[in-house]
Amino acid sequence: MQNKTTFVVAGLLIVAAVIYLIVSSTGSTAQYFVTVAELQALGDEALSRNITVSGAVLGETIDYDALGPRVTFTVVQVPADPKEVERLGGLAQVLHDAVQNPTGPRLEVIYNSVKPDLLQNEAQAIMRGKMGADGRFYADELLLKCPSRYEEDVPVQAGD
Amino acid sequence: MVGDIGALLTGLALAVALYAAYAAWRGIHLPAAQGKDWRQSAQRATYALAALLGAALLTLLLAFLTNHFEISYVAQHSSTVIPTYLKISAVWAGQEGSLLLWCFLQALFAALATGRASEHARPLVPWATFFLALVTAFFVAVTLFLSSPFTLLAQVPLEGRGLNPLLRHPGMIFHPPALYVGYVGLAIPFAFALAALVTRQIKEWTAAIRTWTLIAWLGLGLGLLLGMRWAYDVLGWGGYWGWDPVENAGLLPWLTATALLHGAVMQEEKRGFHVWNMLLVIFSFALVLFGTFATRSGMIQSVHAYTASNLGGYFLTAIAVTLVGSLALLYAGRAALKTASANVENLLSRDGMFFLTLILFIMLTVSVLIGSLLPTLTEALGGQRFEAGPEWFDRVTGPQFAALVFVIGLCPLLGRAAATLKRVQQVRWIVIGGAVAAPVAAALAGFTDVLSLIGFALIGFAAAATLGEFVEGVITRRKRTGEAPLNALWRLLRLQRRKYGGYLVHLGVILMALGVIGTRMYPFETQMTTIANQPTVVGDYTLVFEELRRALVGDAMTVWANVAVYRNGAYMSTLQPRLSHYLDAGQTITVPALHPDVREDFYLILSGWSNDGATATFKVVINALVNFLWFGGLVFLAGGALALWPKMEHKTWNTVALVGGLALLVGAGWAMWGIPHGAVDFGSGRPLVGQPAPDFRLSTLDNQTTSLASLRGQVVVVNFWASWCPSCVDEIPALQTVWEAYRGKGVTFLGVAYQDDEAAVREALTKYGTTYPVGLDAGSRIAKQYGITGIPETFIVAPNGQVAYVHIGPISRETLAEQLDALLERP
Repeated sequence: MQNKTTFVVAGLLIVAAVIYLIVSSTGSTAQYFVTVAELQALGDEALSRNITVSGAVLGETIDYDALGPRVTFTVVQVPADPKEVERLGGLAQVLHDAVQNPTGPRLEVIYNSVKPDLLQNEAQAIMRGKMGADGRFYADELLLKCPSRYEEDVPVQAGD
Repeated sequence: MVGDIGALLTGLALAVALYAAYAAWRGIHLPAAQGKDWRQSAQRATYALAALLGAALLTLLLAFLTNHFEISYVAQHSSTVIPTYLKISAVWAGQEGSLLLWCFLQALFAALATGRASEHARPLVPWATFFLALVTAFFVAVTLFLSSPFTLLAQVPLEGRGLNPLLRHPGMIFHPPALYVGYVGLAIPFAFALAALVTRQIKEWTAAIRTWTLIAWLGLGLGLLLGMRWAYDVLGWGGYWGWDPVENAGLLPWLTATALLHGAVMQEEKRGFHVWNMLLVIFSFALVLFGTFATRSGMIQSVHAYTASNLGGYFLTAIAVTLVGSLALLYAGRAALKTASANVENLLSRDGMFFLTLILFIMLTVSVLIGSLLPTLTEALGGQRFEAGPEWFDRVTGPQFAALVFVIGLCPLLGRAAATLKRVQQVRWIVIGGAVAAPVAAALAGFTDVLSLIGFALIGFAAAATLGEFVEGVITRRKRTGEAPLNALWRLLRLQRRKYGGYLVHLGVILMALGVIGTRMYPFETQMTTIANQPTVVGDYTLVFEELRRALVGDAMTVWANVAVYRNGAYMSTLQPRLSHYLDAGQTITVPALHPDVREDFYLILSGWSNDGATATFKVVINALVNFLWFGGLVFLAGGALALWPKMEHKTWNTVALVGGLALLVGAGWAMWGIPHGAVDFGSGRPLVGQPAPDFRLSTLDNQTTSLASLRGQVVVVNFWASWCPSCVDEIPALQTVWEAYRGKGVTFLGVAYQDDEAAVREALTKYGTTYPVGLDAGSRIAKQYGITGIPETFIVAPNGQVAYVHIGPISRETLAEQLDALLERP
């Protein structure tokens, strides 16, 4: 009987340790995962944390300085909920509509790296980084998805 | 026509799968004599199912090989120009084809598992046939109705879209089938588990699970490793594992399968763990469904994800049915499981360690699952979505993996019997030695982070304990038989495949842990813009970007940079990172170049360049200890294969299988380290500015012999040229002018004629009125010393014998004069 207790205690200790790890890591390293509109609603609270934000790329705003290297561009609000995206006619349609919409919430992004090839009009950009006090988003990592090219999107990662 | 045949075969397969389930059901519920016929019929239907799906897969393959672009799936993943081997792999390059492959493998495994079940497992076969037929029917139905690879296009395109260039890599060709072997393999122990629960024949289940769990586990492991290597070679972001939900989807069932494998050993040794194993087998299968669902539903946000398809809901339903149904069966059959449980021993025992292993693997599974679902979970709990990045996963899983390495080290110390402490005393100095030597060696090699040193100590401890087990086995055997050491090891491996296969897997994991610590705790990455021929220093390395080249390679317009890389000042290799723009696919692929080394990989990515080619931007990633990861992967696979090795009576087959297995491992090693990954070794590089100029002796055409060393104290201009090279001849007047202006100021010129003959050189000198000394470079010896890749090239050597300036290509009068002035003014 005593042996059984040792097993239970050891098991519970491991479980407790892992729960602690998960909770503490979520507090310290998990990132806000937001849309452009939600990010702007966060206001100053957004300044201190790591943030992942997604939006549709506005093609004409892409500006690239090859010597920096540094890319700046603007993204427009797209809904994050897949059901909502589906309801609005699929990702390609949602991205297309977002870029056409002159009143959608916008966010200026600065990415100090080489311009990825997939950074183009109506691409979906997912950016990880921090909000600057100047209201611009400083991305450490930029991930892009172009829904039209392949039926299945393959992994695309561009630096961090 | 071909498409219709394929669809017909798939439709027939669905009917046969449903019939097999029905026949199995009748066979179970009818009285013995009648039931036997039905059971036999169910078995034959299972074979027919595998044959039909195999034929459907062959039909699809045929459609690819013969370019049947009227089939939408073929048009989207193939074209007339891609090579045949890629057409074969294109069969599973997309969702529809991979589902068909999945169905076929599922049916094949079901036929093998039920048809060739061992004597002990036979009573479970009818029910297992029933469940496997249902599982196969589900996948065939999904393929047929929701995601058919045989859908026809209204308008037949003349040419297909071609295969995504990212998928043209051996890793990607074998990665999906290997993973599917894992996925479908896990359905076998699952079906037998349900059969055991329904029939309350728990003992019989034990015999049925181990082999199939091992096959599935090995397939998943191989698939994951191939995926990692593919990411490293092809994706060009410098890493191999990004904790993306799609990667995690493959990892999750592997974690539970690993736990199950350990649980199965305990069960075989009649030490209980039945309930654990039942739960593990059920969750493994549910996680397989979850992985398929997660990658296709769009519910989990992933950049790696397939576009959201309509399959999500069906898979979610299947997961719910699986979990609810099988857990209910488990609850109903709990009594049978309980009586089978054995007594528990001390925690510090073999049983105890297996128990800890199970708990750790289950918690790892839970952690990774929570991390993958974190956005959805946090949104449901608090409204705000949080995402778990790589940092989150490293923090949460790192300590758990460390604990696993510790348990790996403890296991061999504890032995089977209770004589535990005695054994620890025997080997304590070995394991303490390992735990001390590893961090000391790491610290001496420059890895001094305290946390990582703890990791190295754990690794040293576990490695010493595991290797000790091999050594002890050999010594014991030699005492008994008097065999030579290697002979004894060979016999040991052959006779106790499972034990030593397991330990080999452990060794592989230990080695991989070394690679993980190196890459995760000592990351180095930088981005820089370089000017042509100007050295840039990155840590211990110096990079000289030489030039950009552009050429059509296959169907891709490829731009690559030649970058000479020096390590601690010594020439290492010339790397050629490239960007390939695939014209038919309209896609650009970054192909990194890498120089592997035991300590670290130097990984170079070409990210951009200026239009005139004078500057280029590179990303440099230094991956410390990463080759331990790949080597550990090979050891891991070898161990798994050894444990799986069937006891074959036939000697010839044994040899064939052994040779084949070894050839595969050697091939994998060759693919990783044998072939150059964008690296060309020219043997020597140009001396860098500031390095001593290599000394040479030159016999000039006026019959004098000069050596560079004898010119110490003067500025020496060494010009490599040839009479047959137009741009060399073009620059001769500029050289002559500068020579005349500086010859009295302590400046000497030496012309080195490269791959030339004396008569031609004399003629050229006379023609252009060259008056500085020129000699022939016999056997291109001097050119090799100076790492010449083309002519003309000019080196200026300072009075102290160091290289002061390097110029590649024709030099102008102004540039040369400017450099000489700067050098002469130097105090």
